[in-house]
Amino acid sequence: MYLARIDGTLVATCKHATLEGCRFLVARRLEADGRPSGEPVVVIDRLGARRGTTVLVSTDGDALRKTQGNTVPARLSVVGIVDPASAESGR
Amino acid sequence: MRLGIVRGHVVLHTAAPELLGTRLVIVEPVTAENLAAGNGKGGGKALVMADHLDPGTGQMVAFVEGREAANPYWPEKAPVDAYCSLLVDSTDFRPPAEDGVRS
Repeated sequence: MYLARIDGTLVATCKHATLEGCRFLVARRLEADGRPSGEPVVVIDRLGARRGTTVLVSTDGDALRKTQGNTVPARLSVVGIVDPASAESGR
Repeated sequence: MRLGIVRGHVVLHTAAPELLGTRLVIVEPVTAENLAAGNGKGGGKALVMADHLDPGTGQMVAFVEGREAANPYWPEKAPVDAYCSLLVDSTDFRPPAEDGVRS
């Protein structure tokens, strides 16, 4: 799991059948100092994360297989929204 | 999943039997700078992904990498480590100005 910041939304009409109804967000992984790093990633969100929020992203594809079916071609999902008031996160 | 732009296709004349019926697409991953600029450029290291959605050249797609890329072949196993999950209609990627990636 790692922290990421939501920087955008994504619309996709044509997708693998198991991804029907999923909400896609574009996120950037955050380093320990809070700076974004690497290429943007597409995450699947069921919690209602908004732009600018810091979220906890899980790279466990089995979590998605459980809800979307065994053939789902996706791995990253939002499993938590970081409390903006939490001092530890620094963000 | 990462985002990428389709740059072409691969045709094999000999292939592992598990790959029969799968299209192979060359995709160039998109960096944050190019996604924010919306300039149609990629900037990442090109790779080949398996595909059943048939994107055209220049189309932006999202692809999954690693073990999950073979999930669509379940319960069969396939030697695939990148798979085209969706075709992007539009993205609304606006990182904060302090990132310095905006054009």
